[in-house]
Amino acid sequence: MSEIVWDSLKAWWPELIVSVGALLVVLLGVWTKRTQPAIGATWFTLFGGGAALWFAPAPTSTSLFFGLIVADPLSLVFRWLALGTTALVVLMVMSSDEQTNTLRGEYLGLLLFITVGLMLMAEASHLLMAYVAMELVSLSAYILVGLLPDKRSAEAALKYLLFGAFSSGLMLYGMSLLFGLTGSLGFRDILQASGNLSRGATGLLAVAVTLMLAGLAFKISMVPFHMWTPDAYEGAPIPVTALLSVGPKAAGLALVLRITEALAPAWSTVGPLLGGLTVITMTLGNLVALSQTNVKRLFAYSTIGQVGYLLIGLSVHTPKGVEALLLYLVAYLFMNLGAFACIVAVVNDTHNETLEAFRGLSKRSPVLALLCTLFLLSLAGIPPLLGFFGKFLLFGSAIESGHLWLAVAGIINSAIALYYYVNLIRLMYLIAPDRVQPLRPTGALRLAIGLCGAATLLLGLFPGALLARLGASVVVNLL
Amino acid sequence: MVLSALLLCPLVGMLAILAMPKSAIRAIRMTALGASGIALLISLSLLKQFQPQLVGAQFEERLSWIPQLGIFYHLGIDGISLPMVLLTTLLGFLACIASFSITERHKEYFALYLLLEVGMLGTFLALDLFLFYIFWEVVLVPMYFLIGIWGGGRREYSAFKFFIYTLAGSLVMLLAILALYLRTHTFDMLRLAEMGPTFDAPFQRLLFVAFFLGFAIKVPVFPFHTWLPDAHVDAPTPISVILAGVLLKMGGYGFFRIAYPIVPAGAAWFGWTMALLGTINIVYGAWVAMAQTDFKRLVAYSSVSHMGFVLLGLSSFTPEGMNGAMLQMFNHGTITGGMFLLVGVLYDRAHTRQLDAFGGLGVRVPRYAGLLIFFSLASLGLPGLSGFVSEFLSLVGTFGVWRWQTIVSVTGIVVSAAYMLMVLQRVLLGPLNEKWRALTDMNARELCSIIPLVGIVLALGIYPLFMLRLQDASVQNLVQHVLGH
Repeated sequence: MSEIVWDSLKAWWPELIVSVGALLVVLLGVWTKRTQPAIGATWFTLFGGGAALWFAPAPTSTSLFFGLIVADPLSLVFRWLALGTTALVVLMVMSSDEQTNTLRGEYLGLLLFITVGLMLMAEASHLLMAYVAMELVSLSAYILVGLLPDKRSAEAALKYLLFGAFSSGLMLYGMSLLFGLTGSLGFRDILQASGNLSRGATGLLAVAVTLMLAGLAFKISMVPFHMWTPDAYEGAPIPVTALLSVGPKAAGLALVLRITEALAPAWSTVGPLLGGLTVITMTLGNLVALSQTNVKRLFAYSTIGQVGYLLIGLSVHTPKGVEALLLYLVAYLFMNLGAFACIVAVVNDTHNETLEAFRGLSKRSPVLALLCTLFLLSLAGIPPLLGFFGKFLLFGSAIESGHLWLAVAGIINSAIALYYYVNLIRLMYLIAPDRVQPLRPTGALRLAIGLCGAATLLLGLFPGALLARLGASVVVNLL
Repeated sequence: MVLSALLLCPLVGMLAILAMPKSAIRAIRMTALGASGIALLISLSLLKQFQPQLVGAQFEERLSWIPQLGIFYHLGIDGISLPMVLLTTLLGFLACIASFSITERHKEYFALYLLLEVGMLGTFLALDLFLFYIFWEVVLVPMYFLIGIWGGGRREYSAFKFFIYTLAGSLVMLLAILALYLRTHTFDMLRLAEMGPTFDAPFQRLLFVAFFLGFAIKVPVFPFHTWLPDAHVDAPTPISVILAGVLLKMGGYGFFRIAYPIVPAGAAWFGWTMALLGTINIVYGAWVAMAQTDFKRLVAYSSVSHMGFVLLGLSSFTPEGMNGAMLQMFNHGTITGGMFLLVGVLYDRAHTRQLDAFGGLGVRVPRYAGLLIFFSLASLGLPGLSGFVSEFLSLVGTFGVWRWQTIVSVTGIVVSAAYMLMVLQRVLLGPLNEKWRALTDMNARELCSIIPLVGIVLALGIYPLFMLRLQDASVQNLVQHVLGH
């Protein structure tokens, strides 16, 4: 027994380091009055986790901790995504001057807890582990959303909490049905058992899967469980919004991937449902974004639209689709977090969260405007940026597997989305600014924006190496 | 290496400009001029070394780019792309001279201008569909800014309309490219052209329609032309020249290079419709041009009309018709480029484009008058100037194949003559409008940007073989490829 625990711990260093680091950061926040120690400890933790992940022994598909988690090549990708997201978000936290100063330690500690939760979500191979990981992310997120001392933030947190609790309840009910049907909570056992179900039970299996999808849909903002997204994103501090737009989406998609693999016999019902919801998600997100005037709400709906594109990679149910999904997730991380870093810079300076804050940005800060344009064009899917390459692969995987309608929906939505992305570019370049003093983002923001911009452009021009690494991570057996 | 050098020239120029301080206006202008000038020199050296009788790509370069998907950095030039490359570098250089009239934000303007030139050159040089698509899209972003920031009138609206309209078409083309890749697992245009006749007819037809949508918006084909008048009118003069001179040709080039070789059965099936659309372009464009009161808008609609001849020639599947279409693309670029430059000269001085606001300028500004008469006559297809040769070839080629479409198109030429002569009458003839008594004639810079075009229009009008001998072998090969399906 203890050998299993020891062996598992050896492969689990990154999560361990980040967990301990999170606790340390929270304590530092309580003990000291200044924020520097907490920030320092956070960076120490993140680098430590990254080093542990880099030097980790080659991942195998053997399960760890008695079958609760599996550290396979796929989860390695998502663990890197989680660490990368948090690192960029911490850079934003350092620069943002929203009134969360008094709570720095807790703020950063909760961010690190979310990181652990995201990593666990991607590794989970047991329903209970999946639930615990999701709740770790959700509960930390509820608090983070409500961290600002105004009514809007509190309302956002409450909406998020209530919605989340409802979805979790549905998911638990689905899980319990699944347990009743298959007699186990581990994904591998479920896969085996669900293959041998009697005819009547397959209907119930579909119901169970659908209920579980409800909980997961909440995490990834898939229609019809997306309604919390605009309010939560609007009320939260901007770095938290940035984290929520990337982190849980990635980890949630990993979990959906594994669960749909585990319940492969139910794909004939789940598949079309997922496909239809993909198209609706894309379309709803992009259409409603057209009328937004608050930049955080705009990006909330943009996120919903982007999740729709990501779901194409899932709905096609092929390894090429998963590869496309992974590449677009990497692209999405850089372009979305880059855009949010630009938003932090603009809101810090203008204290205005509407689109009007971007007016004339090209005159006030040419480099910032240029990089922001880069991120917006990548989100819209203009070559030669990484966002285009990701969409190229996603639409290609859709056509290849015979789902032409998904690709057509994708391109129609790309054309619609262009409107609101180019609208921001138009405000930055074609309209005169309200004030003319230059806008200088802080050093941390410059680093974040620079990293994201370099990645979006350079990986967009030369995606070969990235594509090779991600392709190697897509194993046939996801469990 | 020559072709990569050609692409690198404007790119290096752009990076150099981005590194300069924005107050160094002279340095920025000279760098841009130098970059586009060197590109022109390289393309002229290409012209010298080009072997017209050879069919197939010359100066080929092929590097592996994204091996997992079989995407190569593949450049090459043949009789179909060489005229286009020459047109791009020529107009790029001349419009750069004309760009000295820009008064604000020089650094961003010239950087975007050079990026635009890279995109256009890349589209004509690429022999890999993925690379082609990238360059095709790269053109959109600088064009949006160039129209939206330095344009006039409803520039934001026009720029935006241009961007979204063209992107929508390109996205449909992307689906076609993907479908083609998934069927054949290659993006190489030359290999796809070889495989073209082997695809089944329904697949070819579907793919042709998808490619058609992408290219038709660029050409532009009625009814996808509505972005053009707005974009042309509201763009600054040099950008109108590039837009009319080169961007529209990207659409026509797409038919020659991609749609016709790769899905020839689809092209043949679409022939009647193509001829019909060409006829509509010619006649509708001409009639609407006649109704215009804004000089620039009139020239914009005349562009729609002239591009109709390209479509007509394309639909004929005869060597005469398709040579005519190719030549018309080059000629239209030079002639309409010249027209837009002249409109710009007048607008810079008078700050109005309303035809009725002028009158009797022929006496006041003789050099301008002479050039305006020259280009108007070229535009309406006077024999002896290049426009006539290409229009005649297109009509001759199509007459045997689609008779009544050709007959109706000829009426468009009559209307062309009508509106062009009307322009001359309203602007140059009649009593001098007292408002313009102090009008100055064209200065040296403006003359520099337009005289080369005069020479070319005249030379090709008298001896069109200068251009036809370059393209004929490749065009004949294309015709046989399409008919042989």
